[in-house]
Amino acid sequence: MKPKLILILLLLTLLLTTACQTTTTNPQKTIVVTYSVLGSVVKELAGDAAKVVVSMPNGVDPHEWQPSARDISTINHADLVVENGLQLEGGMLKTLSAAKKAGVKFFTASDYIQVRHVGAGEGIPSGDPDQAIGAVDPHLWLDPVDMKEIVQALSQTLLNELKLDVSSRAADLENRLDGLNTTIVDIVSQVPVAERELVTGHESMGYFAQRYDFKLIGVFIPSLSSQAGISAANLAALKQTIIESHVKVIFTELGTSSAVVDTIGKETHVNTVQISTHALPPDGSYFTFMTNIATIITNNLK
Amino acid sequence: MDIFITPFSTNPFMVQALIAGILVAIACAIAGTFIILRGLAFIGDALAHGVLPGIAVAILLNIPGIVGAAAGSAVMIGGITLITQRSKLSSDTAIGLLFVGMLSLGVVIVSRSSSFSGDLTNILFGEIFGVSMVSIIVQLVATVIIIGIALICTRPFLLLAFDPESAKVAGFSPRIYHNLMLFMIALTVIVSFQTVGTLLVFGMLIAPAGSGALLARRIESMIAWTILFGIISVYAGLLVSYHMNLAASASITLVAVIIFFLIFIVQNIRTRGIIKETKTEHG
Amino acid sequence: MVKDLTKTLPVTTSRLNIGYKNEIVVPDINFELGKGEAVALIGTNGSGKSTLLKTIVGLIPVLGGELRIFGQPPGKVNRAAIAYLGQFHSSAFILPIRAIDVVRMGRFPVKGLWGRMDSEDDDIIKQAMKTMGVENLAEKPVRSLSGGQQQRIFLSQVLAQRAGLLVLDEPTAGLDAGGRELYLQALHAEMRRGASIISATHDVQEEAAICNHVLLLARKVVASGTCTEVMTPENLLQTFGVVIAGDSNLHVLESPHGHDEPEKH
Repeated sequence: MKPKLILILLLLTLLLTTACQTTTTNPQKTIVVTYSVLGSVVKELAGDAAKVVVSMPNGVDPHEWQPSARDISTINHADLVVENGLQLEGGMLKTLSAAKKAGVKFFTASDYIQVRHVGAGEGIPSGDPDQAIGAVDPHLWLDPVDMKEIVQALSQTLLNELKLDVSSRAADLENRLDGLNTTIVDIVSQVPVAERELVTGHESMGYFAQRYDFKLIGVFIPSLSSQAGISAANLAALKQTIIESHVKVIFTELGTSSAVVDTIGKETHVNTVQISTHALPPDGSYFTFMTNIATIITNNLK
Repeated sequence: MDIFITPFSTNPFMVQALIAGILVAIACAIAGTFIILRGLAFIGDALAHGVLPGIAVAILLNIPGIVGAAAGSAVMIGGITLITQRSKLSSDTAIGLLFVGMLSLGVVIVSRSSSFSGDLTNILFGEIFGVSMVSIIVQLVATVIIIGIALICTRPFLLLAFDPESAKVAGFSPRIYHNLMLFMIALTVIVSFQTVGTLLVFGMLIAPAGSGALLARRIESMIAWTILFGIISVYAGLLVSYHMNLAASASITLVAVIIFFLIFIVQNIRTRGIIKETKTEHG
Repeated sequence: MVKDLTKTLPVTTSRLNIGYKNEIVVPDINFELGKGEAVALIGTNGSGKSTLLKTIVGLIPVLGGELRIFGQPPGKVNRAAIAYLGQFHSSAFILPIRAIDVVRMGRFPVKGLWGRMDSEDDDIIKQAMKTMGVENLAEKPVRSLSGGQQQRIFLSQVLAQRAGLLVLDEPTAGLDAGGRELYLQALHAEMRRGASIISATHDVQEEAAICNHVLLLARKVVASGTCTEVMTPENLLQTFGVVIAGDSNLHVLESPHGHDEPEKH
């Protein structure tokens, strides 16, 4: 009786795991990029020269997402891992440091740019240390010029470490990024500098604001991932800031519920507009991504 | 056979997770056996959740989670002991409220952290793939201690389960051994939460031991079965998690529970079969 | 009555008050129990039988007077010397424990935490189970046994300890006639071995018959003495009160103590 039971259990385990196939070895080099926005740029750079895998699905919160066993395995076996740095990938920190210790090759994007810190008046008064004044800002992908620096450096790394020559693709990409920068400058020129105020609930627009002469005002917008619902105190503070700064529109992002949006609108008579700063649009293009952001901001401020 | 071996042979982190899981299985087998013996399942559950505020504070203060868990469980045990001693009524209500209170306190504390939901997920569900060598060594030491306590205290533990009064008359202080048992359970929770999380460690405490209780005729073989089922659950759970991209600790616990119900059902069918046979015989 | 309390008799009491916290359940208990003797405590539930037994084994503190077990105050006695069988057991053993494992627990007070069990212990255990007629149930899980069989196992456990003093609360509860027979034989054997017995019982007829001393309790000592002295209708009326009209009274009156007619009220 008992040996039969063990047999049944082993068969069950076999059944459960039969659905999978083993991976075949790929002669191509594998580059793993941690999040989607950076990933799309790396894909454009590498083209067919290497297989580019993005760890996080597009649309998840890069600060929180945690890798599964297979994701960890992919990272550990990568020929090169491209990470953001500045602890953006909060849920992956253990995995990434373990991979570094094990000798996996890493390219850290933030090494190649001028790192920004949260300035006065920009901090979000939520008590979250990452959003306080003085904190490091990891959202470097929102500046196309910084991305150009990164592309240059990465192209060099691909040559040195992986023996991949993508110099012509790099040159092309860098040109296009310059072009994107010019386009955005044009778009936002429709808004007088004095009126370039971005009121946001999450400290992500810093690099964009810096590049395109915007002023950032941070407010606390209760979101789904924070601890409480909409408290009276929060709403009062928000109203105060809005009055003092003559705010016309608030830009919200990841995870602010429509209930919150409606309440804010009713209470303050201010428009709330959603911008997508961490996730790529359906066509997966960094260029569309940045242009959309610039357009939405401009349309709502002019 | 390849699918059973490859995830482990090509990934050191999977082997580490397996080792950590096996240590958890052994510790939980022993503690779980005595929990069922003494009917302490409720307290086991309370301890598992009650350590949350300790862990949360540890995270905020940037000290090892284990230290926080130890502090939290000390508070829990103290609280449970106080309640059961002072109260003449059933202490279930008070213990239940104590652990719900600790759980809420823990969540509130963790919410002050910048990576709130990530931290909470890690505490509740464990980070079996992020277990370090240091953690494994700590787990090993704790498991040895737990085995030691169980070996030394088998007789008083048995007597205590049979009849606390007999135990006292026989010269074994019920209070001391009861607290030792609580300490053993707390230690198990403390070293297991990093692997399977506080929410599910209770499953690892009870499910394999429950399966063992169904199959075994004596305590020694019950513990042996329980360890076996615990290890199978860890191995199968990790495999499933890897191949099907599912949450690891939940997969492990799910396998443990499925094993229990499989055995339960098979045993019941057998009993019915015997009854049916007897009925037809006597027609 | 002056008692010489320095003698190391198994049990000596003098003006002993027993009870809980501030409430005396039975006052002024006086008796002696010698080596190889047996005393039966007879009374209804709540009469103080269990309280007295628990006081003797040291579970409840003495409220007044003197109590000496083998010359020591209760609680200071060598643990192996007293074997106690309480009234209620967690017979709903969820765990797999074999009958023989339960009987083996009877050796624990003798062996302590560390003492190894040897073949002598195994023989004692086997013998105890044989005495109670359950040696063929040794390998069975306790949870699969009937109430009567379980009680025999618990009694085997007590016998396995080979204690100097056996303290038993309702030892024949759940036993069938065969079991009671074996139990009484076991009692005789224990007393021949030199052990003393104090047991609380409802089984007035059989057990009281073999005891040297009987204590009738009804929240006070109704009577104390030998079986013949004590078992009078008046005493039993006081002890059992309303139950007089029931079975126990008829039982006793049919005992060989010479009362052939049912009590007339």
